[in-house]
Formats: sequence, structure tokens, C-alpha cells
Amino acid sequence: MTLAMKDGLHGPHQTLGAPFAALDDGQVVQAFLEGNDRAFDELVSRYQVRLLNFVYRTVGDRERAEDLVQEVFIRIYRHLHRFDQTKKFSTWAYTIASNLAKNELRNRSRNPLVLFQTIKRHWEADHRPLQFEDSSSRPDDLFRKRHLRELVEQSVSQLPEHHRVVFVLRELEGKTYEEIAEITGCNLGTVKSRLNRARNNFAAIIQPHLD
Amino acid sequence: MNCCEFREKYSEYADGLLTPPSKAEADVHLALCAACRRFDLALRAGVNMLRELPAVSVSRGFGPALRRRLRDELAVRIPGVIRWSGAVGTLLIVATAGFIGWDWLETRAAHRGAAAEWASSSPGWVAVPPSVANAAAVPDLPTALPRLRIETFHPLNSILVIEPAPPASGQDRVRFDVPAVWGGP
Repeated sequence: MTLAMKDGLHGPHQTLGAPFAALDDGQVVQAFLEGNDRAFDELVSRYQVRLLNFVYRTVGDRERAEDLVQEVFIRIYRHLHRFDQTKKFSTWAYTIASNLAKNELRNRSRNPLVLFQTIKRHWEADHRPLQFEDSSSRPDDLFRKRHLRELVEQSVSQLPEHHRVVFVLRELEGKTYEEIAEITGCNLGTVKSRLNRARNNFAAIIQPHLD
Repeated sequence: MNCCEFREKYSEYADGLLTPPSKAEADVHLALCAACRRFDLALRAGVNMLRELPAVSVSRGFGPALRRRLRDELAVRIPGVIRWSGAVGTLLIVATAGFIGWDWLETRAAHRGAAAEWASSSPGWVAVPPSVANAAAVPDLPTALPRLRIETFHPLNSILVIEPAPPASGQDRVRFDVPAVWGGP
């Protein structure tokens, strides 16, 4: 384990990772494959938040999302030597994350205890005291705003799993149709069809609350 | 274009992927249809809200936990080869040691047998072939055992008598291995 691995990933990593800042993902991957373990810290730094948000929006459970993102990085570390460097690293990372998120949703649907724990966690979040993040707004506006946010989040979580992944990748991660097809392992037609259905469903859920 | 067709092509319309004629048709439909306009506005507003949601950031424990897991991964992966080669090496060492040990035990057992035979036949006798006329003719007779002598002769068997007092050196006793060709008493 390198010094970077000992001190990196947070804090001291920022200075150690500085030489990689100018490199693109492919070059950082190459540096790692040539034996520079600090390059891996750079990849973690670049992708941890993006992947966490993607997985969180897909599985709807923050703690579990962190576990899954860690698993993503473990798999990247384990298999990076097999990564086809003619492809985009980000697409590969999202593919791993997407597969883990889908597995998580499937396992959850088969395991009532996990489902209950997730629901309970959301229930606890619902009963938190209202946080006034904007003191200039009226409390009823803030309440409505918060209500709408929760509604939007719930609308995403109500989408079927394979629609949700495509929807999050497109709307939140800004991936192209081609990238989504590669990440999800579907053809372009399927991606278009799933995205269209996901958007229609999402709009149908949210529209009554916005009218 | 009707509502159904508009909704079917909505995604491509929203992403600007329709051909210019299809896009023009969709534009016209959207301008004329209040329901589809509401649908379009709801979706855009919902997606905007979704994008404005505060991004979750990694917890403080994320980095240390990942480092721990990566260390575990390294412990499993990198020494894996070493561990395999170590296992093979250990196996070879054990096999060699086993072979040497087995050989040593066999030799030791043979020596013990000879010593036991010496002890049991001291003073005693062993049968020797008739061809053995004297001590000098006994094959592989240890020269350190001068006290061996031929006591009696028999047409079939000669009797090799061993002196009552064993040789002074214990080693000589051990070395004295009665050749198998001699047979037993």
C-alpha cells in the first residue's frame, strides 16, 4: 500500500492528487496500471460523489448507497487491468454501479426485512423537524418546497427499476443514449423506449401535485 | 399528430432527436393541446426540481472504510501469488523432509533390527550358508567385529557364534547388519 493509500482518499489526498489534475481519466488509469497507486485515489476523488448520487437516486438509501459505491471502487481496483482502455472509464464505472444498484433492488424486493428497514429509515426522515434552510422565505413556502422535493424523490423511487436507472442516468447524470445503452447493456431502441416510459410515468405521478 | 403519438415521441422531442419534420409536427401539437402542454411543463418542472435537490456527499467514514477494504483486497490479491508459490514450496519442503525422514526411519529401523538381532543373539548364533567357512568369507562382515567367529560347521548350516561380550563401540553394533542372504536361525 502506498503513502497515498495510507493518507489519501480525503484531506491529504488533495495535495498528493494534484499532479493528476491535468490528466484525463484514461491517463490516470494508465498511471495506475503502471504502478502508481496514487492514481487510484484520483479516480476515487473524481467519481465518489457522482457515483454516490447516482446509486442513491437509484436505490433510495444513502447508507446502502455508500456501501455499494465502495464496492464499485473495490471492483474497479480488482479489475482495472482488464479494462478496455479504448472505452470511457466513466461508462465502465457507471456500468459497475448500475449493476450493483440493480442487484440491490432485486435483493431488496426478495428480502422483506431489508425493505422494511428502508421504509423505516424514510419514515424517520419524514418525522425530522422542519429545517428552515432559507430564513427569507415564509414557513409555508418552505414547507411546500420541501414537500415537493420529497414528492419528486418519491416519484423517482416509484419508477420500475429498469426505468429508474435509465431515467436517473439521463436526467441527473446527463448521459447520452449511447452511453446509457452501454451502461445498461441494452440496445438503443430499448433505452429510448424505457426512457420515454419513465418520463411519462414520472410526469403522471408528479403532475397532479404541480397543477 | 395526436396526444398518443406525441407522448410516444416525447422523449426524443425533449432531447432534440426528432427529425425537423417530426419536430415541427410535435411543436404544432404542443401549441394546440393544453393537456400535453401541462404534461410537458410538469415533466420539466419535476426534472428541474430533481436536479436542484442537494447532492449527497460521502460521509466522513467513507474514505477510511474504503481504505480498509482496499487493504483487505490487497492482502487477498497481491500475496495470492506469493501464497500459492509459498504453498507449493511448503509442499516440496514437506515432501522432501518426508522422504528424508522416511529414509532415515527405514535405516534406523534396519539398524535397530540388526542391533536387536545382535542383542538377541548375544551370545547367540545366526545361521550362515555352508559356503561360509570362516569369518573372512562372510560377506559384508564388518571388520570392526573381529570377535565373530565360526563355531561349528554343519553340512547345511554353519553356525556363526557371536562372542558374549559385545564390541566396545555401540556404533559397531548398530552397523552390524546381518545380511539377508544369511537367513535366520
